[in-house]
Amino acid sequence: MSSPQHGSVGNYDESTVAAALASLSGVGPARLRTLVVSLGAHDAWRTVRGELPARDHIAALLRDGDLGRLWCREATPELLDRTAAALSAGNMRVLLIDDPEYPPVLRNDHAAPAVLFVRGNLAACAARRVGIIGTRSASAAGRHFARRLGTQLAAAGVAVVSGLARGIDAAAHRGVLEPTDTSPPGAPIGVVASGLDVVYPREHSALWHDVATRGVLMSESPPGCKPDAFRFPLRNRLLAALSEVLVVVESRATGGSMITVEEAAKRGVTVMAVPGSPHVATSEGANLLLAQGCAPVCTVDDVLVALGLDHRRAHPQRDPRPTPSAADRRVVDALLARPLTFDDLVASLGERAVDVALSLGRLEASGWVTCTAGWWEALLVA
Amino acid sequence: MFASARSTTLLGVVGRCVDVEVHVGIGLPGFTIVGQPDEVCRESRDRVRAAFLSRGFVWPNRRITVNLAPSGERKGGSGLDLAIAVAVLVADEQLPPSVLDGHAFVAELGLDGSLRDVVGAAPLVAAVRDRAVVVAAGNGAAALAAGARRVLVASDLAHAVACLRGDDEWLAHDGTSASPALESLPDLSDVRGQPVARLALEIAAAGAHHLLFVGPPGAGKSMLARRLPSILPPLTDDQALSCTMVHSAAHTALPSTGRIEHPPFRAPHHSVSLVGMIGGGTAAMRPGEVSLASDGVLFLDELGEFAPSVLDALRQPLEEGVVRVSRARTTLSLPARFLLVAAANPCPCGSGAPGVCVCDDAARARYLRRFSGPLLDRFDLRVSVGLPHVDDLVGSRTGEASAVVRHRVAVARAAAMARQGTVNAALAIDQLDVAAPLTPAARAVLRRELEAGRLSGRGLHRVRRVARSIADLHGVHEIVAEDHVALALQMRTALATLVGGSR
Repeated sequence: MSSPQHGSVGNYDESTVAAALASLSGVGPARLRTLVVSLGAHDAWRTVRGELPARDHIAALLRDGDLGRLWCREATPELLDRTAAALSAGNMRVLLIDDPEYPPVLRNDHAAPAVLFVRGNLAACAARRVGIIGTRSASAAGRHFARRLGTQLAAAGVAVVSGLARGIDAAAHRGVLEPTDTSPPGAPIGVVASGLDVVYPREHSALWHDVATRGVLMSESPPGCKPDAFRFPLRNRLLAALSEVLVVVESRATGGSMITVEEAAKRGVTVMAVPGSPHVATSEGANLLLAQGCAPVCTVDDVLVALGLDHRRAHPQRDPRPTPSAADRRVVDALLARPLTFDDLVASLGERAVDVALSLGRLEASGWVTCTAGWWEALLVA
Repeated sequence: MFASARSTTLLGVVGRCVDVEVHVGIGLPGFTIVGQPDEVCRESRDRVRAAFLSRGFVWPNRRITVNLAPSGERKGGSGLDLAIAVAVLVADEQLPPSVLDGHAFVAELGLDGSLRDVVGAAPLVAAVRDRAVVVAAGNGAAALAAGARRVLVASDLAHAVACLRGDDEWLAHDGTSASPALESLPDLSDVRGQPVARLALEIAAAGAHHLLFVGPPGAGKSMLARRLPSILPPLTDDQALSCTMVHSAAHTALPSTGRIEHPPFRAPHHSVSLVGMIGGGTAAMRPGEVSLASDGVLFLDELGEFAPSVLDALRQPLEEGVVRVSRARTTLSLPARFLLVAAANPCPCGSGAPGVCVCDDAARARYLRRFSGPLLDRFDLRVSVGLPHVDDLVGSRTGEASAVVRHRVAVARAAAMARQGTVNAALAIDQLDVAAPLTPAARAVLRRELEAGRLSGRGLHRVRRVARSIADLHGVHEIVAEDHVALALQMRTALATLVGGSR
């Protein structure tokens, strides 16, 4: 028997070969599972390359749409080399479904990924887990709520699962990473759709790094994989599967968050929603969920109670912000119903623009209101 | 044998004297024009000859040479026709040489000998204003507005020649009976509600601050901007003259008095070219929109739709108040002291409100990339305007009239000029502490905003200038207080926070 050559499949361990299999075009979670679970990665690789005979359902799979010929062309020793290099460069680990480190909560799921790419520390998955999800185009008030919920859950020792998208997802994890007076930053669990070395959206690269450092970042997409649209619903099923309780902060009536909610319902995961103003389109989905019988989330205690945790010692309920004066209170009240521009605000209050400007300045400094691109919103909780 | 008549040609917004020298002598019969005439100028050969024959003058069948002195510069336009015709008559001894003394000729000839109007009559006549200027009837008012010593109007070549001989009377020009009634500008009382947008106009007018309106379609951004000239201080005599020169040179319609009385308002379409905006193009260097808007308002609706090169070209005139146009043959400065008002939608879908806007992040980011940061920074005032309320629209309460606001603006501007000799928007940074000292409370507000990262160092100076204007409008001319600074901060919305929308 000749010694293994460079680039030969025998040089690489099972998990690297599985990662290379995941990089083949047209390999989804189901096909990858069929290949890796029923054959093992090495044998699957040889079968795909035509070095071993394919039997039964594998043969049927390879015949499907000429996949066999396509994969045979793609499954080259160079692909193995490339995958191994990308894995070590990106500091990623590959967990097969039978790996002892593979998160047990995922392994028991009916649609568990056969191969999981992980960066960071998987210990977070052993804690109590709450998913916080919502729309990317969230209101400032919604982002503020998500951020605060993330901080408080982390302080209560709960791991927050989220998708690292813009808007609510990012706000929740930023909150988790924020230390409080009494507790260090929490351990976030980030589940992303693209490969772990393809940061999407790009402005979140610092957040990705922080999540991987403090907690864990995971994906079922191999390194170099682009954030294709079809990967997001697949990512959402992992979000649902990893959560014990899923909190929808803000969502439109349709969209990614509602897909996650459906996946959660299939798995019996408790779904909770943050009530919003009927004037605000980004709260439509959350309000719809409440109408369908989801429990509302107004404070972190609601979530802690749903988890069966002791919520009494968790947080003092005092609002640290100074109480606004009567004049300032009028401004906050006007903003509670819906976001307004400075022009609208002056017109509806009927006061001098100077006085309203002074009020807004004071309120913004004390954290009662916030301004996004000319639109003012009131923040109910500190 | 030889004659020299005075005329002018146009370069940019100034006329330059040209001596039309004509030599009629022996040689093969012919007619040549030298001294760098352009195509229009060279064609005057045929117009002059036809006009002679139509009006019964004898065409000298000898060698005619016309020189346009100084011969080193390129001449353009048809305003030299009459001067050439009269000089030919003198050189051919059909007219005495004395008729050329003290006269200048600025008119085009028709083939039938009639006198036609020329483009840019005001600056053309201004170059020869120490002489008696012969013009066509339609240019009488502009020539008078340009300050010519005497304006002589003739109907055709034969009439002009008869008048020069003393056989006939010049026509009465219609500029003398200029009616003092001013054309009405759109008035601010038409604007219902929208208190902050009105306030922004008032502050912009008082301190000459550039202004950006951000709001959905139908918010009345253009309507508001069109009412800005009505509250600006009236033009001084010098400004009115310079505006008249520019508008005449660009051949835009002048009012019946021949003189521009109100601050101009220019609203070029967003397809405007770089040359159309800045000036240049023809040999005469036609002034662009920035010069036409000088001493008035340049309004750019749909700011994001303008070509980036056109918007970037605005930065130099915004800084310096003049625009320097350089071409292969010429370099000249055109006035460009305009007040820039722009309007933009907050995002592609136009609504902009959180929770209502349906644009995804990529579309919004793409849209915002169209605005160049340095240009956005030039806007001291950036105001969100919302849709007007139904109650305001159907209600009977009209807004404050322009005359009232104009008075407040004039008082505020006068105070600023008396204090620092310049408008507030032009305050230098080292002047700020002298001209706009802050109360401790106002300083605390600015410190708070800077520390929270909501205000940049550059924005700080702009906010202080705007606060100075607000204080002037409130009748506080020495110190700038907390409420002025608070309002100034609200008048400068950060557009950049739209990007990503995450923090």
